[in-house]
Amino acid sequence: MLLQIGPFTLDVDSNRPTFWQSLMPQTRLLCTLMMVMAIALTPNGEWLTWGIYGAGILGVLLTSQITYWVLLKRLAVEFSFVGVVLLGTLFREGGITLWQWGIFTITTHGLTILGSVSLKAFLSLVLLNFLTLTTSVPALLHALAALKMPPLLVAILASMYRYLAVLIEEFSAMRRAALSRNLMNSRRWQRLVVGNMIGSLFIRSYERGERVHQSMLSRGYTGIPRMAAVPQSRHRDRFIVILTLLFAALGQGIGWYGGGLR
Amino acid sequence: MLSQHSPAVFQEEFQMTFATSCFSVLPFGMNGIGGIGGVSIGWRPIVALHIPDGFLNLPVIGVTWVISIALIALALQRVQAEYQDRTVPLMGVCAAFIFAAQMINFPIPGGTSGHLLGGTLAGALLGPWAGSLVMAAVFIVQGVLFQDGGITVMGANIFNMGLIGTFGGYYLFTAIRRSLGRNKLQSMVVASAVGAWVSVMAAAFVCAIQLATSGTVPLGVALSAMLGWHVLIGIGEALITVATLTFIWRSRPDLFFHPPRRSAVSVAQPYSVR
Repeated sequence: MLLQIGPFTLDVDSNRPTFWQSLMPQTRLLCTLMMVMAIALTPNGEWLTWGIYGAGILGVLLTSQITYWVLLKRLAVEFSFVGVVLLGTLFREGGITLWQWGIFTITTHGLTILGSVSLKAFLSLVLLNFLTLTTSVPALLHALAALKMPPLLVAILASMYRYLAVLIEEFSAMRRAALSRNLMNSRRWQRLVVGNMIGSLFIRSYERGERVHQSMLSRGYTGIPRMAAVPQSRHRDRFIVILTLLFAALGQGIGWYGGGLR
Repeated sequence: MLSQHSPAVFQEEFQMTFATSCFSVLPFGMNGIGGIGGVSIGWRPIVALHIPDGFLNLPVIGVTWVISIALIALALQRVQAEYQDRTVPLMGVCAAFIFAAQMINFPIPGGTSGHLLGGTLAGALLGPWAGSLVMAAVFIVQGVLFQDGGITVMGANIFNMGLIGTFGGYYLFTAIRRSLGRNKLQSMVVASAVGAWVSVMAAAFVCAIQLATSGTVPLGVALSAMLGWHVLIGIGEALITVATLTFIWRSRPDLFFHPPRRSAVSVAQPYSVR
């Protein structure tokens, strides 16, 4: 694997013995990306298309033995933040006016956009959370490399991932020190102390980067990131990618046909 | 404290923390349950600038992705040429630094909380290319691993905060600093404050234009909501950027991308205990 260290365990369900988890990480990532793209780029008001996609996603969720409450908790937190901005999509001109109070007008057009954007955001969040629940971070980085992301960028991402927990812990230590000295009492002081902490964290990070570089050189690093061999996709993985592509196209086709009938 | 939690608790807390920086305004912030913490105390709205999936249409997504891919490719090339074999460890650690710094919620005027975007900060310390590469790495990790910002709109997020926030912030910072005196602390303070505030406002403005062009939010609503909130967010960003850069100016001025020319630069001993 690319990384042996795992600062964060986001993949609660990556070791379940189901079909989805047996697929190559790059296959899972590619299928997720294709579906998110299809969902997000579907024109507003194509309910049938999202219904088909939703049914497909539900089927995969049910057969993958994921921990549903973790998924639901993550979705609740993430969607609550998306939800508030969605209100901005509601108040607009166009269509039949359903409700009016002063400058606030709710129209059928506004409701269509609100519903469409909500569904797109929700289905995309479900898919991406599902991916991270079932695929470890090192496997995702491997998948990015397999999908031809520049090795240098993947190596930077891997290096970043490796030191995230260290820096967060270092910041927590600084925060504890500031709290123990009663430096966080007023807002003015808070901002100043936070600024100093971030500055101190940068100096420590930069020096750490230099030391990491020295230790990498001492272990034979020549400036070219060495990636572990990425396993090749099997026939089954290729079949699933094609199937996902066909499913995405089917949803779009049915939506288009349904729109034509209307 | 994060470090004292079990992995499961840590994971949930971490997830919560990242959800706080979705592009939205919440009536009740999540600091109390998930912020790294304590920097902002109590329940406050949190505002930030990451666009989720489903908010932009194909043309906007396409154009911003093309520009962002070109930016990343150029930045990789420039950074590799400049830093050579130090690229991976240094950029990785600096990206982790920006990521950690973005987790810190701080109070902004009006009773809300915001978090650092860090574009001007990254530009002033690492330069425009390394700064934007680091910002792009942060957005990729945030989007792919933590659903903080969408996948399809990642190009737009990188464009707004990596290109406009970092490049724009860096060049504004540099121009003002040079015009007021490159070696004076006061000019650096003014330059970083103006650079940070303007870069946040510019990123918010472009974000509003993207949302309106996509037909998601009417232009008037998008502009008033985004600019209205980011006037305050920008003030918070400016204050934190000034405090951070002043600290580094006094402690390790040699770490600036364009360090001040001084006869006696104080190069301190390593600060890290590790």
